[in-house]
Amino acid sequence: MRRLSVLAAALVLAGCASVSPDGLRGDVQEQTQSRLPKDAQLPSANSNAEADEQKRIGEWLQKPVDQDTAVRIALLNNPDLQVQLASLAVEDAERAQALTLFNPTLTLGRFTNAHEIEFERELAFGLVNIITLPWRSRWLGWQMERSTLQASQNVLTLAADTRRAWLRAVAAEQALIANEKMNDAAQLGAELARRMAAVGNFNRLQQARELSIAQESAAQLARARLNATLEREQLARLMGLWGTQTAFELPKQLPAIPKSASELRAGDDAEATALRERLDLRALRRDLDVTADRGGWSRVGAVFGDIGVTYSNNRAKDRESGHVEKTRGWELELPLPIFDWGGSASARTRAEVQRSAAQLQSAALRARSEARTNWSRYRTAWDLAHQQQAEVLPLAKQVQDETMLRYNGMFDSVWQLLAQARTTTQVVVNATNAQRDFWIAETDLQLALTGTSPGGIAPFAATTSNSNNNESGGH
Amino acid sequence: MQRRSFFAGAATAVAAASVSRVALAALPEPASQSSAETAAPLVPPNGRPYRPVVTLNGWTTPWRMNHGVKEFHLVAEPVVREVAPGFSVNMWGYNGQSPGPTIEVVEGDRVRIFVTNRLPEHTTIHWHGQRLPNGMDGVGGLTQPHIAPGKTFVYDFVARRPGTFMYHPHADEMTQMAMGMMGLWITHPKAAHPLIANVDRDYAFLLSAYDVEPGAMTPRVNEMTDFNIWTFNSRVFPAISPLVAKQGDRVRMRVGNLTMTNHPIHIHGHEFEVTGTDGGPVPKTARWPEVTTDVAVGQMRQMEFIADELGDWAMHCHKSHHTMGAMGHDVPTMIGVDHRGLVSKIQKIVPDYMVMGERGMGDMGAMEMPLPDNTFPMMTGTGPFGPLEMGGMFTTLKVRAQLGASDYRDPGWFKHPQGTVAQEWTGAPPDSTAPRQTAPGTAPRAPSVRKPGTDGGHGSHH
Ligand SMILES: [Cu+2]
Repeated sequence: MRRLSVLAAALVLAGCASVSPDGLRGDVQEQTQSRLPKDAQLPSANSNAEADEQKRIGEWLQKPVDQDTAVRIALLNNPDLQVQLASLAVEDAERAQALTLFNPTLTLGRFTNAHEIEFERELAFGLVNIITLPWRSRWLGWQMERSTLQASQNVLTLAADTRRAWLRAVAAEQALIANEKMNDAAQLGAELARRMAAVGNFNRLQQARELSIAQESAAQLARARLNATLEREQLARLMGLWGTQTAFELPKQLPAIPKSASELRAGDDAEATALRERLDLRALRRDLDVTADRGGWSRVGAVFGDIGVTYSNNRAKDRESGHVEKTRGWELELPLPIFDWGGSASARTRAEVQRSAAQLQSAALRARSEARTNWSRYRTAWDLAHQQQAEVLPLAKQVQDETMLRYNGMFDSVWQLLAQARTTTQVVVNATNAQRDFWIAETDLQLALTGTSPGGIAPFAATTSNSNNNESGGH
Repeated sequence: MQRRSFFAGAATAVAAASVSRVALAALPEPASQSSAETAAPLVPPNGRPYRPVVTLNGWTTPWRMNHGVKEFHLVAEPVVREVAPGFSVNMWGYNGQSPGPTIEVVEGDRVRIFVTNRLPEHTTIHWHGQRLPNGMDGVGGLTQPHIAPGKTFVYDFVARRPGTFMYHPHADEMTQMAMGMMGLWITHPKAAHPLIANVDRDYAFLLSAYDVEPGAMTPRVNEMTDFNIWTFNSRVFPAISPLVAKQGDRVRMRVGNLTMTNHPIHIHGHEFEVTGTDGGPVPKTARWPEVTTDVAVGQMRQMEFIADELGDWAMHCHKSHHTMGAMGHDVPTMIGVDHRGLVSKIQKIVPDYMVMGERGMGDMGAMEMPLPDNTFPMMTGTGPFGPLEMGGMFTTLKVRAQLGASDYRDPGWFKHPQGTVAQEWTGAPPDSTAPRQTAPGTAPRAPSVRKPGTDGGHGSHH
């Protein structure tokens, strides 16, 4: 009777290990929702929804694509993210498979000799498989949670990459327009110089000097044009756009920076926030839990390997007498730990726990440092952008105005006026770049505080995940 | 235009009371002046009588008679000079002004001058052209110790020789003169002098030059040659008072040059003789008629003439850039440059842009364009017929039939008798078919695609 109850329990547990219908996307969505723009959604696992999603993307692309919309499109449309989400679903299926009990082995034998016919029926189970099922179910659950966290980090990283690409693309377009203006000024100077030379007011050297300014300016314009194209392409790539979709429009200007320092995020709780919120830390904490929990089991498994239990029901029939003899019984197969009492296995587990703990510690250290440095970068980026807005631009305007006054008084020539116009435009470009850098720093800070490392997910995290997968697969 | 209010010289001399009266108890109170208007001549209240001079946009300092000695008190100090309305310059001067007050004495006067230094650095005063004891010559380090800031020195000598003189520092003089430290000294003859005529009007001024960055207020004291403000008594046209005369008056002009270049001073409608230099009266046999006389660096010239021609006559330095205000010396010549199609494009980049100089710079006299703060337009002043296109060392001699003997007020613009003003020719038109010889930018015999009979301007190139 007892043996039946063990069997029943195992079957119930095995039944629990079902595949998540949405490939865990709901879990990922839940993890990332508060860290993404409102209404941002992951692509549905259901392929019927795709047409609907594409329609929505098409509608978004009708208007100039703002930063949040760019992120929304990227989440729905970025093929790399879809690869990652599919992998998560694959992993989930593998987990379910791993928790399915191995089928019992039925051994049937028919043996004859001169006087006997023997039927041998054996039903054999790997016992450890059954006994450890609750444990394994728990670990694999943790592992899936960890994989979900990993996928969530990928989502957030994609969102941040898209934001940065959007900021760079908009800034590059603004810089392009400014460069066009600078080039206009330079070409005008060259044309005027040409006319000066035509009536004998400039010599060839003076004309050549103005001409060389125009040439340099044209080259700079070409570089600005290329840069705008490259930045735009990068954004289109992240949003997964191609064909006519790439003709999307962008806003003419970057969002304004916060007006005063009081509107900025305070830096004093940055470390605490990062430690509390960051998904990479949560993932590593899961690793540590799993490794520590596995300590006990790894000893059992290592010492005894698989404990085989076999139920035999044999029937032997005497050919002559027709006498039938039945034997029934248990057979327990137990490897003897003569050479290895599990010392090496437990040493390995201990080391793994230590490694996990160290990795967590290192990641926490990194998270703290990233919280601090990214806050400093964010704060400094604001100071710099604000200085550009509040001081540098007005000063450049003043210089431009004063140059105009000096031109009026014939203290400066029209070439100096045009040169100043070029300089002023360059100042505008610098201010735009400072504005862009602030928003990029803000994106990095958000990621460092609530998502993951803005520098990319730590490579060791992937290694840990693989080694776990391999081990669990081994049993 | 300048408002010309003349006022009694001595009455307007206001005491500068910022130095302790106790400390200066034994000294004559220094008179001070802050107005840049021309003060009325100071009729001597005591001592030997003389006919006083009129210092253009300046004044004569009163004195104290002390046991037969004429005592003056000069205070060397920073001042702000209104070089023209709306254009003020930080200078160093004496008794509230640059140039400092004119000192007028009579040949043979014993003179005692107290000099108080309120500058941030030491100074001295050299009495340019005077015969005096060596130790009174005012060359710092050579004939006397420097006058340290806050100290008062006293100079004591007899004005031995009649004539036109100057005073200026002889200590760090490059800086101090670049900052406007100078003044006139007139020694009148004590009796009738065969070589010194009695005159009805006696005008005196110093030539000085400054380099002030447009929009700045302090002269660049390290400039050696490239000055941009050319002044009579630290004033520029049209802020320089006119010289007025009643028809038939004998007029004397006394001009001293404390700039770093010479100035050919030129008068219209009259010829004059140079009757004296800082060396003294010129023998009659050595005089010849002139309409321009060069006043070299560090020299003084006395010119005399009879103002017998009615009208408003120009009187100016003949170096044309000395009758201009500040301008950019590196601005290229724009004459004849075709701007068609470019102006609106430039205005897209610089909205306030206007074409200037493509027909010459005469437009500048008429245009009123915003300039940097504290900057006087380079060509300005308006006459009865339009812009005068002048600025700097320029003023007018106004000769009128009816004028009171002591009346120095600006009589306004001359009313020309009928038919005495140049006018547009209204007879047969000029031969308009005469071609220009060469187009700009083309050598005289260079091959040309220009068709005969067309204007050779830029139009033919396009
Ligand atoms: Cu001159």
